[in-house]
Parts: sequence; structure tokens; C-alpha cells
Amino acid sequence: MKEKETTEKTSKKSSVKKNLAKKENPYIPKPYKVLEYFRETPDTFTITLDMQIEHDPGQFVQVTLPGIGESPISICSYSNKYVRLNIREVGNVTKALANIKKGDTLLVRGPYGHGYPMKLLKGNNLIIIGGGCGVAPLRGIIDYVEKNREDYKDVHLFLGYRSPKDILFSREIEEWRKQYNLSVTVDQNEKHDFCYDAKTGFVTEALKASNMNNENKVVFICGPPVMMKFVIEILKQKGFNDDQIFISAERLMYCALGVCCHCMIRGKFTCIDGPVFRYDEIKDLKND
Amino acid sequence: MVYRIKRDELNIFLEGFARKNQLVAPLKGKLAKFELVKEEQVKDIYLEKNTYFPAKEFFFKKNETVFTFKDNKIQEPKLETPKRIFFGLRRCDLNAVKHQDKVFMEQIKDPYYMAARENSYLLGFHCWEAPSKYCFCGTLNLADYYDLMFYDKKDYFLVEVGSDKGKELIKEFKTLFEDIDITITKEEKKIKGADRLLKDDIKGLYDHPDWQKGVNQCLSCAACTNLCPTCYCFELHDETKTSNIQEGKRVRNWSSCQVLDFSRVAGEHVFRQKREERFKHRIYHQLEYFKERYGVNMCVGCGRCIQGCPTRIDFVQIINEMK
Repeated sequence: MKEKETTEKTSKKSSVKKNLAKKENPYIPKPYKVLEYFRETPDTFTITLDMQIEHDPGQFVQVTLPGIGESPISICSYSNKYVRLNIREVGNVTKALANIKKGDTLLVRGPYGHGYPMKLLKGNNLIIIGGGCGVAPLRGIIDYVEKNREDYKDVHLFLGYRSPKDILFSREIEEWRKQYNLSVTVDQNEKHDFCYDAKTGFVTEALKASNMNNENKVVFICGPPVMMKFVIEILKQKGFNDDQIFISAERLMYCALGVCCHCMIRGKFTCIDGPVFRYDEIKDLKND
Repeated sequence: MVYRIKRDELNIFLEGFARKNQLVAPLKGKLAKFELVKEEQVKDIYLEKNTYFPAKEFFFKKNETVFTFKDNKIQEPKLETPKRIFFGLRRCDLNAVKHQDKVFMEQIKDPYYMAARENSYLLGFHCWEAPSKYCFCGTLNLADYYDLMFYDKKDYFLVEVGSDKGKELIKEFKTLFEDIDITITKEEKKIKGADRLLKDDIKGLYDHPDWQKGVNQCLSCAACTNLCPTCYCFELHDETKTSNIQEGKRVRNWSSCQVLDFSRVAGEHVFRQKREERFKHRIYHQLEYFKERYGVNMCVGCGRCIQGCPTRIDFVQIINEMK
């Protein structure tokens, strides 16, 4: 499997080079129409763009709001008809983006980075572990699996949120429950609000309690650094190897082209070597 | 191919160029730096020592307009650079251009950098010996990377051709250059007194306690990265008119890995929180990370980061003393 992986990575790299060979200015975003705006939770929303591009789940785009700035946003869908972005209002650009409306035009460049190597992982059971808005890039995997269901075995989703009102993708979650194993947790639910059958507690507890070994499985993790750290600890206890685990990293980013250097994790660039890394590729790199 | 030009004719050559096109060369001033040199300033070109500031700014600009915008419409700037000769670049500065070329012309096709670079001629000036006590280029395997290289021989200069562009230039001013049948050997090109850096392989030294010697004196002022001829990190920001934020420009500015904000993400998390991590990041990018990607050290050994450091942190000495 490792050998195959190398070939895919090299072929991807050469395709990246081909794109750069065109004499296009790589910093200039292009306009795309907003097809839909959906308020997911009090501080997140999902926009669907009329953007037909080839991409892998886990890749990201750069969204520009002239006068405010540019921000990297992961693609949370997998389709050749549209691109969906789930955005949390946390910085200048994302807060301003919340005011966008259906029918508006958004300036976007991308897609960028290495996504999840789904083709290489055919035949595996998939374990998807997301925390908060870290569920967004993982949602691309779910869309991908839906289109290629016969290529993968069981799918188990572990999704953790702060509270019932923070649960993302409420429109889809019912469908996922029918199709896959789904464990949703909320950190707190003092008022006992309705939240499907979510259990109160951290996603790590649900993972610990699950009866799982590492056979024919690959794990995708995305979430806050602390959550990823503890999830990996539990997975190691359950016998998972580093090369069965894929994580998605987050860093400050300007160019997304492997040049501005803000997203470096030691010698690796989150924007072109990641954002998805196989855990054994970066586990020795710590956090700096 | 090697030519010879008489000492007093060098200025005729440079004045001739400055008259028709643009000449960039070191001028002394308070702190020596590369500047646009007018015809009548050619006699003041300063070649005694290396410049305090590198020539980086002419290619990778401190402040570059990436595009302008009005409402949601984007306008790319017109990029034009006149034919420009750079004279007096030392071997370190020439290699710095080489390394930035790798980033801005190979890794990506950066239109701003390429526009500034395409019409320029790189004319080097050889150091027979290290011009400053901070120099350490000797052990960094610097390459020949120039259109023409000038070797000072007191009464005359030997001029070595390094490219077709250089050949063209000689042709243009052929009455001043005399073709001579010699070659300049690798041994002759060696710069004396620049072998200060004893090891450039620092792979296994990341957790070495001696880094602390530098860290404890570091003020995170970013002088090192600003004076470095190779450091190429940047930020992109939008600048708008106060009266109308719908109109303005996106600019690219130099940025420094030595400051906290360099890795600060929305939500206020900083990935390289400690000064030690930031200090080591710079040295490791220069001597390891760049090499992993491009096969060559990013650092060219000019010593400007040491000379310009307000507390004179000498990372070369720190590395040399590590056991």
C-alpha cells in the first residue's frame, strides 16, 4: 500500500506543476455565484458556490472579501457541480462573510493542498472523527463515500460538539444515521435539549467505549489540537498504527502556494504538503 | 570566456549604461546599500566592503500591489520594469538571487518577481577575501550565478561571462572589453577568510541546549529577517480608503518569523509561542528546511543578520560550539 501511495503523491505533484506552468497570476481570485446560504448554528453557516472544479475531499480554497482580506476555507462537499464551504465566524474575514447572501458573487481561488487519498484507501473500513468545525473537511469524505459506496466497507462517524445548538449539518445527520454507524457527543447539555441521540461527554469517551480494533481500518481526524492529541492516544492504545491515521492541520496562511511560509510545520508546508497528512509524516514535528 | 576592462574604462561602461537604462549599484551613504545610480554618481559607487542592506528589495519588493479592487471587481497591475543592470553584487548576494529565483520562478510563477527579474542583468563583484568579519560563505558551496563577474586586478578588471545575457552586454560595449585567453579556476574563486561556519548540517541538534545562548538575547525585533538577502516570507493584506472600504488594493509585505503574529490564527492561537521556537525556526529554515525542498542551503553566509542584530547574536558561533 505504501508503494502505491508514493506513486499517487508524485502524480499529484506533477499535476500541481502543470497548473503552475500556465501563465496565470496565482494570486488572483475568480468570481463565483453563491447558490445557497444556510445558517447551521449560531456561529457557523454553509454556503454553496456555483464552482465546478475537480478536487479531492479535504482540499481547501482561498476566499477573498475585498477590503477585509483573504481566508483559507476547507471544502466540505464532494461534487463536480458545486463547492460547499462551512464557515465559522471566528476571524475578520469569516465574520464579514456571514453577511453574504444567496445570489451574491464571491471571489475564490483554489482548490489547494493535498486532500484525503480516497482512491488508495479502497476496501477499508473508515472511521471519521471530528470535533466542532473540524467536521467540515471530513464531510467531504462522507460525500465521496456516498458516490463510491461499493469501494468502502463500514463507516463509523464520531462527531463531537460543544452543545446541542452547535451540532453541524443537521440537514444531513438523519441520513447519515441511516447509512452509517453514528456516535454524536456534546460536551455539555445542561438543559437537556433535544440533540438526536447525542450522548453528553467528549468524543474521546465515545471512542474509548467503542469496541474497535485496527483491522482494515483507516481513521480520519480533524478538530482542535487538544482533541486530536487525545484521540490519537486512544487509537494507539487500541493498536492503530501511525500510517492508518490521517489528520488535517490548520495554520495561518496567506498564499496557499508554498511560498509565504506562514503555514510551515517545521519543514513542511500545510498548504501544499498538507493540509491532510498521514500521521507518520508529521508526528515527529510536534507543534512548531 | 574571460575579458579584460581597464580600471578607468569601467566607469565609462557603467555611465554608458546609466545614461540609457537603469543602473543599480552600492552607494555608501550612512549605511551602504544598493540604489539607483545616475550617470554622475557612477564615480561614487562603493566597492570597498559589502553593503549593509541586500539588493533583495529590487526583486522581492517590501511593498507590492498584488491587485487593486473597486467593489467586487479586481484589476491586475501593469508590470513593467526597464532594462536594469545590477553592479557590485557579491557572490553571496548573487546566490541569494538564485535561491529566491527557485521560490518565485520555479515553485510558483510569481508575476511580480518575474517582471522585476526578467529585464535585469546581474553583474557580480568578486571578493578576494571576506569583506567583513561576519562573513561565512566559504563553506556553503555557493554557485556561479551571474551574467558577468568582475575580478578586481588593480589596474584592470577581469570579466567572466556567465550567461548569454552577459555575452550580449559585452557585445554592446565591445570597444571597452578585450578578449583574453585565460580561465579563472575554482581555487582562485575561493574567498579567503570566510570559512567560519564549521558545520551546516544541524539536523540532529534541534533539542541542543546551546540554542538558548542566542534565544536569551533575542529581542524578536526582526532585524535579521529584514536584512537577510534570502528571507522571503510575506503577508497579504487589503488596504482601503477610509472613506470607502470597497475600494483599495491588496498588498504584499515582507513578514518575519521572529514575531509572534507570524503564526497567530483566528481564535488567538499562536503555534510558535516561545522565542526559542521562533529563533530556531529561522536557523532551521535557512540551513535545513530549504535544503530539503530545493537541494541547497538557503543561507548564503553574508553575515548581515549577525551584523545587524542589536544584541549581535552569532548563530554561526553557537552552531560551531555545539558538541
